[in-house]
Amino acid sequence: MGISAKQWLTLIHEMPISQPIKIMNVCGGHERSITMSGIRGALPKNIELIPGPGCPVCICPEEDIYQAIQLSLHEDIILVAYGDMLRVPVNVKKSEARTLEQAKAAGARIKPIASPMDVIQIAEQNPDDTVVFFAAGFETTTAPTAAMIAQGVPDNLKILLSGRLTWPAIHVLLSSDSPGFNALVAPGHVATIMGPQEWAFVVEDFNLPAAVAGFSPESLLAATYSVIRQFESGKPFLDNCYPEVVKPTGNVGAQKMLSEVMTVVDATWRGVGTIPKSGFALSEPYRYLDVNEHFPGYHDDARKRAGEMPPGCDCAKVVMGEIYPNECRLYGKACVPRHPIGPCMVSDEGACRIWWAHTKR
Amino acid sequence: MNDRYISLAHGNGGRYMRELIESVFAKYFGENDLNVQVDAATIMPPEGELMVSTDGFIVKPLFFPGGDIGSLAVHGTTNDLAVSGAVPLYLTLCSFIEEGFEIAQLDKIVKSMAEAAANIGVKIVAGDTKVLPRGEGGGVYFATSGVGVKNPSLNIGLHQIQSGDKIIASGSFGDHGICVMLAREQFGLSGELFSDSASVTPLTSCAYLQPGLKFMRDPTRGGLVSVCHEMARATGLDIELSELDIPIKDEVGSVCEMLGYDPLYLACEGRVVAIVAADSADAFLQQWQALPDGSDASIIGEVREGDGAVSLRTELGGERFLEELEDDPLPRIC
Repeated sequence: MGISAKQWLTLIHEMPISQPIKIMNVCGGHERSITMSGIRGALPKNIELIPGPGCPVCICPEEDIYQAIQLSLHEDIILVAYGDMLRVPVNVKKSEARTLEQAKAAGARIKPIASPMDVIQIAEQNPDDTVVFFAAGFETTTAPTAAMIAQGVPDNLKILLSGRLTWPAIHVLLSSDSPGFNALVAPGHVATIMGPQEWAFVVEDFNLPAAVAGFSPESLLAATYSVIRQFESGKPFLDNCYPEVVKPTGNVGAQKMLSEVMTVVDATWRGVGTIPKSGFALSEPYRYLDVNEHFPGYHDDARKRAGEMPPGCDCAKVVMGEIYPNECRLYGKACVPRHPIGPCMVSDEGACRIWWAHTKR
Repeated sequence: MNDRYISLAHGNGGRYMRELIESVFAKYFGENDLNVQVDAATIMPPEGELMVSTDGFIVKPLFFPGGDIGSLAVHGTTNDLAVSGAVPLYLTLCSFIEEGFEIAQLDKIVKSMAEAAANIGVKIVAGDTKVLPRGEGGGVYFATSGVGVKNPSLNIGLHQIQSGDKIIASGSFGDHGICVMLAREQFGLSGELFSDSASVTPLTSCAYLQPGLKFMRDPTRGGLVSVCHEMARATGLDIELSELDIPIKDEVGSVCEMLGYDPLYLACEGRVVAIVAADSADAFLQQWQALPDGSDASIIGEVREGDGAVSLRTELGGERFLEELEDDPLPRIC
């Protein structure tokens, strides 16, 4: 038997903690588990848990969503997207479609999916239509997309790729004047694919504690305990608190598919700007699948507020861990799950949505 | 009648329909209870106040481990009467059958319905049959309406709930929701999981006799949390549940974890949540635990002064707010 969540909590409470510690997580699944199990309130007061850039829906470039909406409205295509992308608003005039959901209501053919395998099925079922897959997501969803492409896709399938890597965002934060945290709990799913070593830079370049965690309260508290102990001892190292799933090399097969099908490029993050080497693009042999090769001219970056968060919305600060969700002026007032203004209130991975659903208002 | 499948003619009011009613419905419901030759049934009014309830039933698949749409259609309406304090007496039944539906399947469903009704002691006294064109229905849908006589010694209702009252659950949560979902979707998961679909009358009849009973509800669509929100909204009081005390089967817990569902929001079809005065709660619990359907009963929380919030004291001692259900956690399951 491993150590239970309660026992980890006791161990943490018994540890002498000399100064406040701010621990960032980089995964919507972590934030949801922390919030749902009430870990934040159960920890000693001088330990803060900060949700960071862990929601792919929240940082998906506004321009890409705009492009998906326009394509679905103006081309004779079927657009396929992950379900929680459908309600993310873009910055356009009220008279225009602001979300894929509104485009769908206006007659666009849009199908929500849960897995890349659904994409193949939809393309095969509609051989006379062009099917465009809006592939937004982090490494965890981009790797299955790469595998799907490598295995061969129907001729009528095209890709609008909007994949991102998580670690470069943390690198940007740590390189800034005020990172806002002094320990990191690294994402278990991402590490499962890419390997835990991707996060070694936190220790090696910035001398901060880091631990990979899974999604159970036990694993998250084990990682919390680990980074506190590293912090107090002054000897940070990269710990793996999810060893049953995260192997030292990661998933070599998935990495191979990713590097075969995609290249790593500089990429924009909504409300944040361009982060070097943080995005995926289709590699040369697969570029013929890129929707931009077939339907150019829909990526309009000259629009007013293109790429930004909606006016008045603090999602950019929430994403980068600068403020907690309930510190945004719109949180729970103008912005609620039924009428989300910012992307963080849309997805189950978004910190605002998670807090609104599970914490006292 | 030799037909194997339902055709539109079975809903046309003529000979085919008469034959279907006689050979399937009347066969199981019995001539004494269901007179197929009249347009309206005559029933003797019982003494006391009557209670009426109605419900519609759509479920996929029609048969699932632990039940089927037939028994569900009887339990659903009679359970609503029972938790409201009435002994169910009569039911009416509307059937909406899709063209092409296999009559052998319908026979099985109606038989299950008749058995469920007999077990409760409720009579199906009137009915109607409609046939939907192929592709416009999910095999078969039902609507049942029920009449019951109110237990005169009971004074239960939302208005009786007070701060300090205990919340008692008759059994585990999420069984029906997860069971139906596993039966419907191809997740490649299998297990020994059964729906909790059942009549709650043994539980409610026992509860009527206990002192301190204030309110009962069967947590169907929306699950436990929706019942709690209903109470919190009506009373303005807080509902605080204790994660450690809420019975959830291991299989249900692990499937939920794997697929990202929350058992507290999933439908039950044979559970009761009761609000009981604090000083009567332990005795009440013992009575329920002595029943076959109440062996997992537990005091799962209490009513507190507050502003109408529903929260969960987590296993770790933290607090989690339980929001009112917004998005559908699953496609319709009952």
